[in-house]
Amino acid sequence: MLLSRKPNHAVRDGHVEQHNVAALPPAGIPAPSRQSLRGLDWFIFFLADVQTGFGPFIAVYLTTQKWTQVEIGLVLSIGGIVALIGQMPGGAIIDAAKSERLVAALAIATIGVCALAYAAMPVFAVVVTAATLHAMASCVLGPAIAAISLGLVGPLAIGERLGRNARFASLGNGVAAAVMGTAGYLLSSRSVFLVTFLLAIPTLIALSRIREEEVDISRCHGEMPREAPVPGDTNVWHLIRQRPLIVFALSVLLLQLANAAMMPLMASAVTARSSQWATVLVAACIIVPQAIVALLSPTVGRKAQAWGRRPLLLIGFGALTIRGLLFATVRDPYLLVAVQVFDGITAAVFAVMIPLIVADVAFGSGHFNLAQGIVGTATGIGASLSTALGGYVSDKFGNATAFIGLSGVAATGLLLILLVMPETRPTGMTVTKEMAG
Amino acid sequence: MPVTPKDAAPPPSVTIIGASDAHGVLGRDVRSAADEDMGRIVDVIVDRDGHVRAAVIDFGGFLGVGSRKIVVDWNAMRFGKIANKKDSITLELTKAQVAAAPEYKEDTPMVVLGASGSLQPLQAIQ
Repeated sequence: MLLSRKPNHAVRDGHVEQHNVAALPPAGIPAPSRQSLRGLDWFIFFLADVQTGFGPFIAVYLTTQKWTQVEIGLVLSIGGIVALIGQMPGGAIIDAAKSERLVAALAIATIGVCALAYAAMPVFAVVVTAATLHAMASCVLGPAIAAISLGLVGPLAIGERLGRNARFASLGNGVAAAVMGTAGYLLSSRSVFLVTFLLAIPTLIALSRIREEEVDISRCHGEMPREAPVPGDTNVWHLIRQRPLIVFALSVLLLQLANAAMMPLMASAVTARSSQWATVLVAACIIVPQAIVALLSPTVGRKAQAWGRRPLLLIGFGALTIRGLLFATVRDPYLLVAVQVFDGITAAVFAVMIPLIVADVAFGSGHFNLAQGIVGTATGIGASLSTALGGYVSDKFGNATAFIGLSGVAATGLLLILLVMPETRPTGMTVTKEMAG
Repeated sequence: MPVTPKDAAPPPSVTIIGASDAHGVLGRDVRSAADEDMGRIVDVIVDRDGHVRAAVIDFGGFLGVGSRKIVVDWNAMRFGKIANKKDSITLELTKAQVAAAPEYKEDTPMVVLGASGSLQPLQAIQ
């Protein structure tokens, strides 16, 4: 067995709360330095910048390079498939890594080189290789951020930290969309990838500001501290059989199934209905949710500790359900931008909740990042099914039907949380917080 | 000269076109008469006689989000300005007209957008 380091099947009944009660170190509350925390802030900010350039914009760029639609579709599919199957191996690499910083640095360097390759040599072999490498690097970076966060602040302060992470990620996305939009408009499509390459440099500098010795490697992997009274069960099968993890992965799949197709469908509806301001409106539809996430996510992190996880998950799914129904009924393009506020709410909730609930469930197992990979796989499956399904329904029955269908999927997710999902907030955490503060 | 086999195909005929006389269109920018950005050409529609009927342009959106593929009549486009790689094609339609058109889907009947008053069979204009 490669993955089970300590096949320790002691009397354990698979109860999440128990692990975390045991996880409370009496005096081992980590106190990372300000420099490391700021480093993490800016690392996340610039990384989001770097990743923005690799979005749907690749299709535009390759079109300007005389690529046919078939070739572009093929490259995007290859990237998508690698990103999907790489999720769990990516998490496992982070779980096995001796230094999360080093792995993250290598991944960013890879992405920077990929951006440069896109700009310099848009020929098929190079672009397919770059798309594959970029997808693989992204599979590692997602868990790496959460792992470094957990390693720095520990499981007690992780909620607030993840809120802050989400804020900086969406600020990065927003700023990058503005900068790259301007570069693409004023200079050329190619310049967007040069900007992306240049942004990899501050990302690496920010990463180097995080002090290696403050990133506790066993915490990164979600292992029990050595002094804990009950050591965690590090058998990987024990983790995978956890009911909250399975239910949560399923609800994330439903979330993406409902969510991923909404924005593209809506954006093309906006392009159809408003001619003069279409570009500005689509840009607003991208930036409004980012602004909401930047505003709300720290609050989400705090409320997750105060209220528990379930109420926030219900809010996230509720906002998504309402958004689908509004997209089906609202026709005015300006009001559609306003409806994107609900996208921001859903995005803020899940940006914090996905790593947080995974940390709740997997802490003590030593496979925190593999668990992230499992949920990441669910995300990928949901998202790719969503665009296919949404596009099909929209073709056959029109946009309104597609939006109502997606909204129905969101409502199913809401019911799943309401009826099946257990609360994963570790009991005893609030008590300790009160005692500590 | 190598010895040519008896059944060798005759050499192909060669036509030389001046570098500035004809150009590829795939990926080329399309602009309206009022110099609005109308997207770029992503495909060319040919009928079974081999006549070029229309072009598919990828129109609108921001950073690749929200763009739509619209079919415009070949005759609504003017290629006179093209002298080098960067030059754009002029489309005799406005942004508002193109925005309202239905999206192009392969293997479904296409709605081809023509300049007002000039939508006619291909052979009419030569």
